[in-house]
Parts: sequence; structure tokens; C-alpha cells
Amino acid sequence: MVEEQNEDTRAVDLLNDDLTDVSPEEIRAAQAAVAAQLETAEDRWRRAAADYDNLRKRMAREIQTVREQERRHTAKAFLPVVDGLDRALSFGVDLDEGVLGGMQAIRAQAADALRALGYPEIVIDGAEFDPQLHEAVSVVEDASVPPRSILAVTRPGFGTPERMLRPAAVVVTRRPDEE
Amino acid sequence: MAKAVGIDLGTTNSVIAVWEAGEEKVIPNAEGARTTPSVVAFTEDGERLVGQLARRQSILNPKGTISSAKRFIGRSFDEIKEEANAVGFDVVEGPNGEARFNIRGKQYAPEEISAQVLRKLVDDASKFLGEKVTEAVITVPAYFNDAQRTATKDAGRIAGLEVLRIINEPTAAALAYGMDKKNHETILVFDLGGGTFDVSLLDVGDGVVEVRSTAGDTHLGGDDFDRRLVDYFADEFKNENGIDLRNDPQALQRLFEAAEKAKVELSSVSQTQVSLPFITADASGPRHLTMTVKRSKFEDLTADLVERCLGPVRQAMADAKVSENDIDEVILVGGSTRIPAVQALVKRLTGGKEPNMTVNPDEVVAVGAAIQAGVLKGDVEDVLLLDVTPLSLGVETRGGVMTKIIERNTTIPARRSEVFSTAEDNQPSVEIVVLQGERENAADNRVLGRFQLTGIRPAPRGEAQVEVTFDIDANGILHVTAKDKDTGTEQGITISDTSNLDQGEIDRMIKEAEQHRADDQALRQAVDARNELDSAAYQVERVLRELGDAAPEHERARAELLITQAREAVQNNVGEQEAKERTGELLQVAQSLAAARANASHAEQPAQDDEDDVVDAEFDR
Ligand SMILES: Nc1ncnc2c1ncn2[C@@H]1O[C@H](COP(=O)(O)OP(=O)(O)OP(=O)(O)O)[C@@H](O)[C@H]1O
Ligand SMILES: [Mg+2]
Repeated sequence: MVEEQNEDTRAVDLLNDDLTDVSPEEIRAAQAAVAAQLETAEDRWRRAAADYDNLRKRMAREIQTVREQERRHTAKAFLPVVDGLDRALSFGVDLDEGVLGGMQAIRAQAADALRALGYPEIVIDGAEFDPQLHEAVSVVEDASVPPRSILAVTRPGFGTPERMLRPAAVVVTRRPDEE
Repeated sequence: MAKAVGIDLGTTNSVIAVWEAGEEKVIPNAEGARTTPSVVAFTEDGERLVGQLARRQSILNPKGTISSAKRFIGRSFDEIKEEANAVGFDVVEGPNGEARFNIRGKQYAPEEISAQVLRKLVDDASKFLGEKVTEAVITVPAYFNDAQRTATKDAGRIAGLEVLRIINEPTAAALAYGMDKKNHETILVFDLGGGTFDVSLLDVGDGVVEVRSTAGDTHLGGDDFDRRLVDYFADEFKNENGIDLRNDPQALQRLFEAAEKAKVELSSVSQTQVSLPFITADASGPRHLTMTVKRSKFEDLTADLVERCLGPVRQAMADAKVSENDIDEVILVGGSTRIPAVQALVKRLTGGKEPNMTVNPDEVVAVGAAIQAGVLKGDVEDVLLLDVTPLSLGVETRGGVMTKIIERNTTIPARRSEVFSTAEDNQPSVEIVVLQGERENAADNRVLGRFQLTGIRPAPRGEAQVEVTFDIDANGILHVTAKDKDTGTEQGITISDTSNLDQGEIDRMIKEAEQHRADDQALRQAVDARNELDSAAYQVERVLRELGDAAPEHERARAELLITQAREAVQNNVGEQEAKERTGELLQVAQSLAAARANASHAEQPAQDDEDDVVDAEFDR
């Protein structure tokens, strides 16, 4: 504490003090101190300005991310409805044709809406299993087709590898000798 | 500069966070998820998959898909024989008796697998941050021995990372809450995740965190709670329909998903609906599963799981020679601590202490690790400590209310301006009363100072424009200026004691504002309504004056009556409702007068609905 006070009283205030009885060394030292302070201040100011600019850019990016997350979250909440329709349709073979056709149209509307949100329905059609698009929920041994063939879809998927809402749940083949 | 990150390398899931711009932040992976499954797969074609992608193909490739490598890292084969039998891939003994994975005839060390997970986390983070990530702090359970810690560090190296430090998961949780800065405290960290349960007792003080004891159950977690619900759904369904859904893999999968969803919902609501239409079918047609689950039912089903947490907590306390009264803080970690019954148990065991859970419990470990990384890199200290205004600052306006200009918690230095006007015709001066506080009624706040701005040129009320600027510098010194935009005349005041209230006083004022929020809001609305009524009366009066004899006699009489009544109502401080009704009547009259004026003289100016909208409020003194 005492030491610090001594330092303080010896320090030269270049702006306010009468400088006549101050030695040139002391003035030089004081100038150096001021220059150092100015440098720190300028550095801090630049950092603050840069921080702000970076924050602005980051916010812009983050808004994109948040929008994407919100969209995915919302779209996901509707997937059970699509699944329900699919199951209803799969049991609806003995339904009146008009009703069945209507339900199929609703199902198509749902897929359209999801596509418009950026999540097209994943087309399976003879595809080979691809973990970017599919989730294996069941495996059957089958030598008559190449391994990793998709035999059935148990739940439709929506999205692309880059923007996946939900992969398609599929039944996949395996060579009998595998495992 | 390359960023240093914190990584929670979990048994089931891993999380990566970064310290950036003075804030910690969890980084989503390339698939947009904040957690990444700690799963690695080697496919038949020699492809390597990590995370969600690996999990999706696991049943197709059970021998080539490694999950929970953490259970094997740094262990000898003898130590983990039992674990090895519980997994679908092959665990073998390496040349030095260590645990290895045998994948398609090739042996891999657990640290090589963990390295793949780390690599993905870091690669995705680099992409997200737009800069390369090369340094990391990685967490491990407090009970990890030297071999396990070294192996984890090696995993980091294999992933091409410089591991700044390996820290304990409970320590990271304490750092996330800034508890390392406390003076000698005993902290209990309760971590119930998806598949593992850990309790730790920590001693913190003078920036040092010491683990005093740990205990746990390596096979207890949220998955067990899910399983209970699955069995319950399946049993109920079987009773009713005679079909056991557990025999149908697809139905079972849907049951598991529904169970987890229901469990999560029951953490915030007391009952939930489970709906699985067309879950199966028999000769009589499709069957649906619909059920309501109450939280109390869920608690019955899982009571023994919750009780299983009890032993380890007691154990840890006994080992650390700590009683419930010695525990100063409790931290909840792991997604399953969101279950109310789990929280109740923790409270019961720690003498009713409110646990800390404001930091997302499934991210708190990664967050703490990121803070540690920031500290080690010197980024955390570097942050300029920024002050905020502890209370709002503003001025008194018409009707004796406070109009805020700088909101509470604004980071300073800050500068804000608003434009005000006069409340009377030819008002020559305005009085600026500078207020501090959160209450609507000006008199309930602190008066910091007052001054007059004089020499305002005669003008109808609402026309003069007085710009009031609040400028508060980094030291909390407030300069308030008021400027007449018409003449350029300016007056000001400097107030230096905006920030010398002690914290107790600030807390009291904020609490009072909260307690009176409803009353204050009512008061504010009433004042606003009376001000509107007063303005409406003034406008109608002006229209009458302008119309002179052109005003139809009966309209004039009615307007004059309404004006007199309005003035009285304002004088008598009538309530919001009455003020609004009277304003409505006046506006109607204003309209018919305007119509009359249009007919009479095709006057170009209809009565205006409101004053100039750049003005925020009026000064009535
Ligand atoms: N709101 C909630 N209510 C109840 N359980 C929840 C909630 N949110 C998440 N969980 C459960 O938390 C668990 C996941 O927690 P966490 O992410 O902490 O686990 P983990 O770190 O992957 O597991 P471990 O630490 O065992 O490796 C899952 O079982 C999940 O169902
Ligand atoms: Mg965990």
C-alpha cells in the first residue's frame, strides 16, 4: 500500500503539472506511460468495435440457424399425423373408393406441404440402404436380392442428407452368412 | 485465432461447446443437433460413420457398430468382461491385456473409437464457427483412474487435438455455475443421464475444485424409465386386446418412442395422452393404442428406480464425511434430472436445498469445459467487465407517470433520446424531473434531479418538440439534456450518483415493482386513458373554434357539454373505463363536426385523430 502511494506521488501528470522542476527522465517516463495507456485504450476500443461487428455477423447467421431449428421442430410435430394417415390407408383397402381417394389426396397434400418447407419425401424405389437417408429398423436374410436392399418402408422419411427431418425407417436385407 | 472448445465425451451422447465473445455456447453438429451419439460404425465397404448416421445402420451392422466406447476406454480386458457380454460387438483382449474391439478382423483400441467421435464434433464445430478448432478441454467421470484419463487424452491426440486439460465432469458442472469463485463450499453434483448415474461431492474455494468422493450406478438412467412405460403400455394393451406388442419389433420401436415422449412430457405436465393409431391388427381389424398416463402412475411405475439413486448419494456423503447440513449447493446434471420425482428425492436428501438447474442439465458439463478452455486460453479474463444500469432511468410526464428512457440492465456506456412535447397551449417552459426506478407512478421512484427548459415559443399544445437525451458513461455518471428543437435552446444536468445504491436497495426496489406490477399497470393505463381523453377534448374544442358559426347548433351544444364533462373527469382522476368511454363519445362528435365542416366550407383539414406521432409523451409542467 505504502509503496503504491509513493509511486503515485512521483508520477508526473503531463497535462496538469507544472513541469519546470521535473527531470527530463521523469518526463520521458511519463510520456512512455501515457503512450502505453493510449495504446491499450486504442486496442480495447478496436476490440470492442470488432466484437460488435462480429456479433452483428454472428447474429445474422444465428437467425438462420434458429429459423431452421424452429421450422424443423414445427414440421416434426406434424409427422405423427402423416404417419397416422399412412397407417389408416394401409388398413383402408376395403374402404369406399371415394373415401380412400380423398384420404390419399390429403396424404399427398401433407407431403406437398413438407416439401414446400424444404423436406421432400424420401423416395425409396429400389434404392440401396444409405444411412444418410434411411434408418434400418429391421433386417431380413435374403439371398435372392443384393445385400442392403430395401424391402419395405415402415415409416416414410422426409428431407435431404443436408436437411434431414426424419430418415425413412426401412427393412433391409442381409446376406444369410453375414453376422 | 483458433478457438478452444470444451467437450463432454459421454457414454451415450457427446456435446461440444465454445467460449465465444464472453459467452459459452453449445455448437450444433452438421445435422443440426446439439448432442451427437457417441457411436462409430465401420461398414462393409470400409466406410466410417459417426454419430446419428452410425446409429441408423447399427442393426444392419451390429458387429461393426461401436457404442459406449467410454465403458471400455483405458480398461483391461479382465475388468470389463461383464460389460463385453452385454454389447453386440466383439470385445477382445489386446497384446497387453487391454480391452480392444475386433471389427472385421481388425483390432481397434477404444481411444481410436472415441477419437472418431471427437473428430466429428470438432470438424462440425470448425465448420459452424468458420475457424479451425485445434485445442480442447475434455471431461471424464470423476471416478476415472489414471489409465482411463490417459487413454481419453490419447483419444484427443489421435483426433489431432491438443488436449489442454482433462477435467472431471462434476467439476465442469461447478465451473458452469461459476462456483469455483466461492469461498469454501461443499457441492453435491447429481448426474442422472440416459444410462449412467454419478454422484460427486466437491470442495471448492479459492479457485480450486477438489473431488472429495464419488459414487454411482453404471447402469441406471433415463432408458430404464422408458422401459417401465413400455412395459406398462404393452401390458395394458395385452389385457384389452390379447396381443403382446413386444413380439412385434416395429410396434416395440414405436412404443419406445412414445414412452420417451410421454416421460419427457410428464416432467412438465401432470398427465399426457399416448396415441399410437393402427399399432397392430388382428382378424377383427386394426387396433389403436390410446391411453392417458398420469404423472402419479409414472411415479408408481418408477419409484424403485428413483429409490436406487438413494444408496449412492448416502455412500458419497459418508465417504466425504459430510452430512446434509454441510452441503451448500446442489447441481443437477443429465437430462433425467428433469424428472420431478428425481428432483424431489435430491431435495429430500440434501435437507430441502433448492438445486441449481438453470444451465441446461444435458449441456452443463460441456459448457463448464468450454469455460475452462476459455480460462486456459486467457479468453475469459480478457473480457472487459461491462456494467449495466441497475435500475431504469427516465422522466416524469403528463399525469405523474414515469416514462423510461434507459431500461434497467442496459449495458453502459449508453445514450438514448426521446422527443416530448407540451401539455398546454403556449406553455413557456417544461420541467424535466429525472427519475430512477421501476414503478409507473413517478412519485414512487427516486428523483435524481430536476431542471427547467425555458423560452419555448408560444405554440398550441403538443407542437413544441423537446428532445431529451440521457447519456450515461462507463462510470455511471448521467448527463441529461433537454433541447428545444425549434430554438436550439438547451439545458442540462449532470448526476453522479446513479450507481451508488447498494445492492439491497436495488433488490428492494425491483421487488416492490414486481409486487405492484398489476396495480402499476392499471395506474399507467388509467393515466394514458385520461391523457387521451384530455387530448380528445382539446381537439374537439379546436374544431369548434375553427368552425365558429358553421357548427350546427345541436352539435355544438353536445360537444361543449362533452368537453366540460371530460375536463371534470380528468380533474377527478376517473378510471380507465370511464375515460375511454368519454373519449369515444368525443371522437364521435369530432367526426360529425368534421363532416359539418366539410359540407360547410370544403375545409381542407379534417380533425386529426392524434397528435404528431413522433412525440412520446407530454410535460404538463
Ligand atoms: N424433460 C425430460 N424429462 C425426463 N427425462 C428427460 C427429459 N429430457 C431428457 N430426458 C432424458 O435424459 C436422458 C438423456 O440425458 P443426457 O443427455 O444427459 O444423457 P447422456 O449424457 O447421453 O447419458 P449418459 O451420461 O448416461 O451417457 C434420456 O434418457 C432422456 O429421455
Ligand atoms: Mg452424461
